[in-house]
Amino acid sequence: MVQKYSYNWLCDYLGENAPTPEVIADLLTAHAFEVEGIDEHDSDTIFELKILPDRGSDCLSHRGIAREIATLTGVPLAVDPLHIPVTISATDLIQVQIADVTLSPRFTASLIRGVKVDESPEWLKTRLAAIGTRSINNIVDATNYVMYAMGQPLHAYDAVKFPQVNGVWQFVVRPAEAGETVSLLAEGGKDEDRIVTLRGGELLIVDGSANVPIGLAGVKGGRFAGVTTETTDIIIEAAHFDAGLTRRTARGLGIVIDASKRFENEPARALPPLSQQMITDLIIKIAGGTTLGMIDVYPVPKVPPVVSVEVRAVNARLGIELSTEVMVDILTRVGVTVEMMGDTLSCTGPLERTDLNIPEDFIEEIGRVYGYQHVVSVVPETVPLSEYNVRHVYSEQIRAVLVAAGFTEIITTSFRNQDEIGLQSSLASDKCFLRSELSSGLGDALSKNAPFTDLLGVADTKLFEIGTVFTRESGTVVEHVSLVVGVRLRTTGYSGKEDASLTLVCNLLEAELGIPFDWVLKAGVAECSVSTLLATLPVPTAYAVVPKAKETIYKAFSVYPSVSRDIALWVQEGTEVSAVEEIIRFAAGPLMVRLTHLDTFTKDGRTSLAFRLVFQSSDRTLVDFEVNGFMESINSIVAEKGWIVR
Amino acid sequence: MATFIPRGHQHPLTHMIAEINQIFAEIGFVFAEGPEAELELYNFDRLNIKKDHPARDMQDTFWLRPADVTEPTVLRTHTSPVQVRYMESHPLPIRMICPGKVFRNEATDATHEAQFYQLEGMYIDRGVHMGQLKGTIEYFFSKFFSGEVEVRFRPSYFPFVEPGVEVDMMLKGGASKLANRWIEVMGAGMIHPNVLRGSGIDTSDFSGFAFGVGIDRLAVMKYGIDDIRHLYSGDARFVSQF
Repeated sequence: MVQKYSYNWLCDYLGENAPTPEVIADLLTAHAFEVEGIDEHDSDTIFELKILPDRGSDCLSHRGIAREIATLTGVPLAVDPLHIPVTISATDLIQVQIADVTLSPRFTASLIRGVKVDESPEWLKTRLAAIGTRSINNIVDATNYVMYAMGQPLHAYDAVKFPQVNGVWQFVVRPAEAGETVSLLAEGGKDEDRIVTLRGGELLIVDGSANVPIGLAGVKGGRFAGVTTETTDIIIEAAHFDAGLTRRTARGLGIVIDASKRFENEPARALPPLSQQMITDLIIKIAGGTTLGMIDVYPVPKVPPVVSVEVRAVNARLGIELSTEVMVDILTRVGVTVEMMGDTLSCTGPLERTDLNIPEDFIEEIGRVYGYQHVVSVVPETVPLSEYNVRHVYSEQIRAVLVAAGFTEIITTSFRNQDEIGLQSSLASDKCFLRSELSSGLGDALSKNAPFTDLLGVADTKLFEIGTVFTRESGTVVEHVSLVVGVRLRTTGYSGKEDASLTLVCNLLEAELGIPFDWVLKAGVAECSVSTLLATLPVPTAYAVVPKAKETIYKAFSVYPSVSRDIALWVQEGTEVSAVEEIIRFAAGPLMVRLTHLDTFTKDGRTSLAFRLVFQSSDRTLVDFEVNGFMESINSIVAEKGWIVR
Repeated sequence: MATFIPRGHQHPLTHMIAEINQIFAEIGFVFAEGPEAELELYNFDRLNIKKDHPARDMQDTFWLRPADVTEPTVLRTHTSPVQVRYMESHPLPIRMICPGKVFRNEATDATHEAQFYQLEGMYIDRGVHMGQLKGTIEYFFSKFFSGEVEVRFRPSYFPFVEPGVEVDMMLKGGASKLANRWIEVMGAGMIHPNVLRGSGIDTSDFSGFAFGVGIDRLAVMKYGIDDIRHLYSGDARFVSQF
C-alpha cells in the first residue's frame, strides 16, 4: 500500500545527520521501496512510499522507515522509540478475558486519570496534517500519532462512561455469534453510525459488564464510551488480532482503514506495551493526567525464529562474491543478531521484523542492502530444446496459410453475457460467462469490419481467430483450442455467396496440414477444434523461422466513418498510372486517406483508368457535400490535364 | 479486377509470442502451456499466496460458478500456475517459458484490460543465481528490441519468489522513444523454496529463477500502441497496421 511519510518526522528519529530528502529517495528506491511521490509541504517534504506486503509489518510507520534509512546509511538512529523502557506499572483495575489467544495473541489496556481533552498542540497538528490526517482532539490525535509513529493501532475509551463491575473494567475478546449486531462509528462523509449484523466468527471487543459488543476487533470501533471534551479518565487499548480474520472481516464489510491495514500485515508482538508507553508519555505531556497502570495479556509469547543461513548459499543465490565479514556487517546493520557457526550464520531478526523467517529472507536482506547493481549478468549456456510446443507449431502454420490467403487475425474477448460456464462477481455484465465457441465473436467482428474494406484497400472482409473455448463435460470445465475463419462480402450482412470462398480456404488448410478438419460452417463462418486436430498431427521436430516483424509505429486511426467515391478517366495511351495518382492525390487534399487503382483498359489509342478514393476525417463525420467539393476540384484539375472523366 | 490477393495480417500479439519463443528456444527454453480456467490450488496456494494474505490484494480474480466446477476454480490471474504444473511433470533441470492469456476482474481503460497476455519463464538447475536471471533478461530484451539492453533490479515482493525484484530496462543508444532511459518492465526473483518444495524439488540441491512481464506492455513499448483495448477489439483497422 502507498503511505505518506513526513521528512521532519523521520528526522525526529534520524537526528541531526539525517540525509537530505533526495538522498533518502534514492536510497529507498535502489534498496527498499518505490518512491511514488516526493512533495514539498509547509517546510516539510512528504514522501509517498509503496510499502510491499512483506514489509507492512514494520514499515507502515515512521520509525520503521527511519530504521530502514539507518540500515542503508549505516548510521544508527539517534532516537529509537522501539527501545524505550516500559515503566508503566501493572494494574488490576482492568480485566481482559480472551476466548481464543490464537485470534487475539496480545491485548494491553492502560488507564490514565485526570486528562483535559483539548486541541492538540501545533507541532502535533502539523505532524498529522503533513501526512493528511485531520486533527480531532489531543487524545484522538495522540492515538493516531502513535500509530503512524510505531505502526500499532490504538483506541481510546472514556473510562467514566465504560461501566465497571465491582470497580473493575472488563474487556472480553470473543468471536461473534451469528446474527449478533455491533454499532460502528460513522465512516468518513456519513452522519449515521453503521449497525452491522454479523455472520458469526468475526472477532468482537465486548464490554464485559453487559456482554455488549463495542467494536469489531482490528477493524473499527463504535461510539461506546467515546472520548468527548468532558472526558477526564481514559482507557487506551493496544492489542493484536489474527491477520487473516481481520482481513476477511474488513473486506467482507468493505471497511479498509489504516488500522485494519496494519493488523493485516501482522505487526510485531512487542509493539503494544511500547506503544502504551509512548502514548502515555505523550498524553501526560499534552493533556495532563497520571497513569494508573496497564494490563498486558500475552499468554503465549512469540519466539522469533533462529535461522541458519549457509554462507555458501548467500553467494550461490545472489551470484556475487561477498566475504563473511561483509554479510555479517550488513545483517548487523539490519538489526539481525548473527552468530557464526562454522560456515553457517545463525540469524535472528530484530523484534519488529516479522518477515524474516527462512534463509532466503536473510539472503534477500544481504542482496538488497549490498545492492543488486553488483549482480553480474550471465547468460545460461545454450542447451538443445527438450520438446516443441505442438499447439504453437500448428497454430503458426495455420496462421501462415490464412494470412497468405488474405485473412487477418483478430483476438476477441473470452467473455460472453450468456453461455455455458458462468463467472461469479464479475464487474461487468458482459463478462458473466466464458465463451463456448469463437463463431459468434467472429461474426460480430465481420459485421463491424465490413464497412472498412475501402478504407483498408481490400475487396472483402476476411478474418480468423485461434483461441480457447470453455465447455462443460461430465460436471467440469473443459478447454479446447478452437479455430474460426470467416468471410463477409457486403456491408449489409451475410449474402449467401461467402461460403464458396470460405470452403476454398478450408480446403487449402486441410491440404496444407494433410488431414481433414471437422468444420462447422454457418453463414460465412467456419469453426473447428484445433485441439482435436493436434491429436492426429505428427509431433513436430522444429519451429518455423519467424519472419522479422516490420518496423511498425502504430498510428491512431479515425473512429469516424469513411466515404468512398470511384472515378474513371480517359487518358492518353502510355500515361503512367503513378502520374495520374499523383495528380489525384494533390487535387483531393489531405482528407483522402486511400487511393486504390481498380482497373485499366485500352481502346482506340485511349486508356481508361479507374480509381477508388476514400475520404475520412480524424475529428468528424464527413458529409456528402464536402466530399462532392473534393471530387469537383479533382474533376477540374484532371480536365486541365486533358483527361476526360468517364 | 486483378486476381492478386493482398496478404492479410497476423495479430501483433501472436507474432510477438512467436518471436519470444524463437528467442528463448535458442537457449533451450521450452514453450509450455496450461489451462486458462485454473484451480485455485495452482493459481494461488501452490504459489505461496496464502488465503487472506494481503498479497491476494494484488490481483482481482474471476471465480467460476461453483455449479460448473468440482474444485474452486478461477480464470488464471497469471501464467505462474503453468510453471507449477511444469515442475510437477518434468525432470530437472527445467528451462521454460509460458506466454498466455490471463484475466483480472477490474475496470478497463487504456492501460487495463480484463484479459491480457503475459510472458513468464523459469530456470531451475543446480546453482541457478540472480546473475543468470539478469543475464537471461538482458539477452531476451536485447534480441526483442534489437539493440543493446541493460537491466537493473530493485527490491520488490511477490509471494512466489524470494528475493523478489522489480526489473527496469534501458535500451542503449538509438533514436527510439524507449532509448536511454530506465523503464519499469517486469517482476522477477529466485523461486520461493515453498514453491519448489511443493512440487517435490529438493531445495538443498536445486534453485531457480522466475520472471513475468505483460506482453501487452511489450506491445505498447515496441509499437507505441496508445490503448491496449485495441488488441482485443477485433478491429481490422488496428491489426492491418502490423
